Amino acid sequence: MQAELPAGYAGKILRVDLSQNRTWTEPWTAEMSRTCIGGVGLGIKILWDEVPAEVGWDHEDNRLVLATGPLAGLPAWGTGGLTVVTRGAMTNGATNTQANGFFGANLKYSGYDAIVLQGRAPEWVYLYIRDDTVELRDASTLLGKDTWETQEALEQMLDLTGHQLSVYTSGVAGENQVRFAAVHGDYGHVASKNGCGAVMGNKRVKAVAIVRGSKALRAADPRGLWMAAQEIAEDLQHDPSTRSLYEYGTLPGVSGLSRLGALPIKNYTTNVVPEGVDMTQWTAQGLREGFDHRGHQCNSCGMHHCHAQVLPSGPHQGAIVDEPEYEGWSGAGWAFGCTDPVATSWLNTQVDRACVDVNEFGWLVGWVIECQEKGYITREQLGGLTITWGDAEAANALLQMTIRREGFGNVLAEGVKRASETVGGPAAECAIYALTGNTPRGHDHRARWEEMLDTCTGSGGTLDSGPPVLPTEMGQPARINPFDPDAVARMVGGTRGRRQFEDSLGTCIFTTRALLSTLCRTLSAATGWDFTKDEALLFGRRTAALMRAFNIRCGITPDLERPSKRYGSVPVDGPAQGQDIGVHWEHLLDVWYDTVGYDRQTGKPLPATLEDLGLSHIVADLWDAQEATHAGT
Amino acid sequence: MKVLRITPQRCTGCMRCEIACSYEQSGVFQPAKSVIRISPFEAHTSYAPYTCTQCDEAWCMVACPVNAITISPVGAKVILNDLCVGCKLCTIACPYGTMFYDPDTAKATKCNLCGGAPSCATACPTQAIEYVDAESADWLGTFAAERAETQLAQQA
Repeated sequence: MQAELPAGYAGKILRVDLSQNRTWTEPWTAEMSRTCIGGVGLGIKILWDEVPAEVGWDHEDNRLVLATGPLAGLPAWGTGGLTVVTRGAMTNGATNTQANGFFGANLKYSGYDAIVLQGRAPEWVYLYIRDDTVELRDASTLLGKDTWETQEALEQMLDLTGHQLSVYTSGVAGENQVRFAAVHGDYGHVASKNGCGAVMGNKRVKAVAIVRGSKALRAADPRGLWMAAQEIAEDLQHDPSTRSLYEYGTLPGVSGLSRLGALPIKNYTTNVVPEGVDMTQWTAQGLREGFDHRGHQCNSCGMHHCHAQVLPSGPHQGAIVDEPEYEGWSGAGWAFGCTDPVATSWLNTQVDRACVDVNEFGWLVGWVIECQEKGYITREQLGGLTITWGDAEAANALLQMTIRREGFGNVLAEGVKRASETVGGPAAECAIYALTGNTPRGHDHRARWEEMLDTCTGSGGTLDSGPPVLPTEMGQPARINPFDPDAVARMVGGTRGRRQFEDSLGTCIFTTRALLSTLCRTLSAATGWDFTKDEALLFGRRTAALMRAFNIRCGITPDLERPSKRYGSVPVDGPAQGQDIGVHWEHLLDVWYDTVGYDRQTGKPLPATLEDLGLSHIVADLWDAQEATHAGT
Repeated sequence: MKVLRITPQRCTGCMRCEIACSYEQSGVFQPAKSVIRISPFEAHTSYAPYTCTQCDEAWCMVACPVNAITISPVGAKVILNDLCVGCKLCTIACPYGTMFYDPDTAKATKCNLCGGAPSCATACPTQAIEYVDAESADWLGTFAAERAETQLAQQA
């Protein structure tokens, strides 16, 4: 007799074949739920099983997995989780990117743990879900609408307001398969990495609209769940290392990173804040209190993180926008020299509404400005547009031509790596990207080596490990010299697995910055498992290795694991002046590969590593018998 | 007396009160069963919880044809499930829209103050919902008078 599915789960995976206009559900098995959990764990299994090498990101047989996890919809903080997993457009490999809002909760209250989209609709559709009613509906009236307009239009069409309806869309950028299009929902929540929105657009899905369902979720030990959730909340509120995140979200990043030389300024041409910029308005408090604002939190979340705000001045005075994350202040501001918080805040929401990754946008605009300044790109090429450092209005003009693929926008729509390769010559040397196609987050990683290594070796279109959370719990040092290549590579490799576990729970990664053992207790209370820290890391490393195996099968090889010339250059000024990651790059990779147990030459997880992680069944897919015998020796 | 005092300006729309309420009322996490609800204002920028104020007039009690609504020791108007016939007259009589009908049980349902320890107030992370001593349960009048001045902005 088959074991019953654990509590915490809705119980079904919703399958949608867009080509056939067919929807059906598949049950989970108890065993599958424990080995895949949800989120990226579930998503990568589906990719591995169903997306072979010849199915590229734009092939109709590609899968777009919109997954939640066992904690989504339950009362821990930040349980609106959505993890998008697909073969993405930037790397043409695996994608693991997260958004929040209410998607995960609403989907699970409707009775589903995940949606798997396959095929391509003959005409534009939106997916409508209301409990057992699942329909592909005509989206022709939504075409051309931005993300917010799409949500507003669906609210009107379906006569629902507030969080009774969760809408995720890829906007106009998705319609035009802009390579760095994102998936955006619930007014300000974005799964932005690896062109997942381009995949959604390629499938001719304008939006997914989920009515807050009416079904029940259970917890195996509800009292234990409330207590564990409370413990995480207390920790986030009171611990000095998380308190600023609790109070201000990611706003402290701008002033904090500027002091480390890790705030990217003007396309990595400087790390010095320009004279005359009042940095007091860029502190967390300055950015929060500088605007009329109101909390705009995700499902069941007590963080003072996401906010709506009103522009107090300037040409768009009075407009309601989403308070930018650090990444927005960076990508829609500092990365191209804009040091005006009001202009940046406005532009950040234009980027969200257009539906592209704000990091890639920042690198793209910074590159165009530098190239125009140096004469590598002419005004005529840009359709008469002149753009100089810090010009948010001109940056928006670039954004609009890019998402519509108008004129030179058609080149820019491919992202900065491909655009710079198309323009060629000295312009190619000014662009910031990882050779795999991964987009760096909004930092100057020349002063943050861990993240440059993580970006370049990551298998999911962004960071695989992310900033360390309580590293001593994983046997890593509490603190390292950020410019010591051995320590950096060991830290990135040694913390591998935690992020994949977090990304499988159906919770936000900002509300899981607690002890791994507490997260396991929360998961156990929800499901009834006796989940341990060791099992969590084993799970995470297995998931990461499977993503890596998928990418190997997609042809992504270790020679691509390096920064572009500008990305890996030496800072000419500021706190990290002279720090040269390039001379250490091969050594960083050597140590990282050794730490994670992958083969330095081929990039494949070693057979012994795969066996240790419970992936012995894929050894033969990656290694021929003779290779396997000698690998790692 | 103690009342649920709601400060809408503090509400961030996280809906945790609905999750907690549904668990307290039904033993499962099912916000559709919650008897506190969150309503959006000013497009998607503001939210406010609403639930029974345990008002003195108690139109629900007056309207009930089978006397299935009584007053509990903590001052809450509560449904006596054995008596309720599910006629929904109370849902029509309530001027605040805080009497609900549960199609699964075919009975009316409403806030019972969780017997004196309201779980919505405990779960609310921003103290938008508090269970406090008050002279009157009628905080709505004051709120309505002040509301126009506290709007974040008018959306174009």
